Amino acid sequence: MKIKYLLVGVVMVIIGIVLAATVFPSEEKRVKKRFYLLSEWVSKSPEESALIMLQKMKDIGTLFLEPCELRSPNEFLSGSYTRQEISAYAGTARSHFSQLNLKLYDLHVDFPEKEVAKVNLTARLIGRSKTGERVDEIRELDCLLKKMDRKWFFSQIEVIEVLKK
Amino acid sequence: MFLIRVFLVSLFAYLFFGFLCIPFTTQGISMEPTYPDGGVNFCWRLRYLFSEPKRHDVVTVRFAGSRVMLLKRVVAREGEQVEFRAGRLYVNGKEIEEPYVRFPCNWSLPTRGVEKDCVYVVGDNRSMPIEGHHFGQTSKSRIIGAPLW
Repeated sequence: MKIKYLLVGVVMVIIGIVLAATVFPSEEKRVKKRFYLLSEWVSKSPEESALIMLQKMKDIGTLFLEPCELRSPNEFLSGSYTRQEISAYAGTARSHFSQLNLKLYDLHVDFPEKEVAKVNLTARLIGRSKTGERVDEIRELDCLLKKMDRKWFFSQIEVIEVLKK
Repeated sequence: MFLIRVFLVSLFAYLFFGFLCIPFTTQGISMEPTYPDGGVNFCWRLRYLFSEPKRHDVVTVRFAGSRVMLLKRVVAREGEQVEFRAGRLYVNGKEIEEPYVRFPCNWSLPTRGVEKDCVYVVGDNRSMPIEGHHFGQTSKSRIIGAPLW
């Protein structure tokens, strides 16, 4: 009888821990969630309607702080961008593809300061252009996110040069 | 007893294939014909535990972690000068024989020095324009192993 109560107690504790982790996610999980949203909104299926495309364009902009700085080995891409610019560039870039899939790997999250998160990750963009060309680009990124009004926003994205020609 | 054995075998497999001998599939054509697109291999993490990558070695270069890696060949080491002339590789002004390069290549790249603690890596397939091939100098700390075969 005692064992029965003990088992029920253990199961309840496990359920409680799982529920607490789901209802109150850690800051690391909240940061990662922003990346998964970015991945979801950048990705595009061949059947995507114009309405969904417009909504995703708008949504992408909401993930960024104003202005957001991009640092890249390609000088012409580096600079500060507003949310509207990010949404517009994302929309233009997405329009060249019939299919896109942004995959994120090896996310390492650090909190160097309060309400600042530094994330190192590998991003892979796989897709097919409207002319039928296959695209497969991989980059290592260092991202800086800042917390405002209990939400995390991208404030800086740096493209790391893994191979330097 | 049986469950303990299963647990131990699972633990060993997890550690061995997760950290020491990582399975991977080749995606892309940059190392063809040596490593064809879709081929299966393992990244042996202990390959450079007591030695340094040498010229002509095929190595795996990591990005942020080991989930995505580049498979490339070392063509020059730190302090050396690399150059491509009419598709031929020159290191320190001397032409290097590359039997693994099977496809015609017309690359030209001005001389550049390989920095300290770095190696210069290139794929075996140089049939595409030079702009379309991912190659160059990388830190030795990014080399996490070599393919098993």
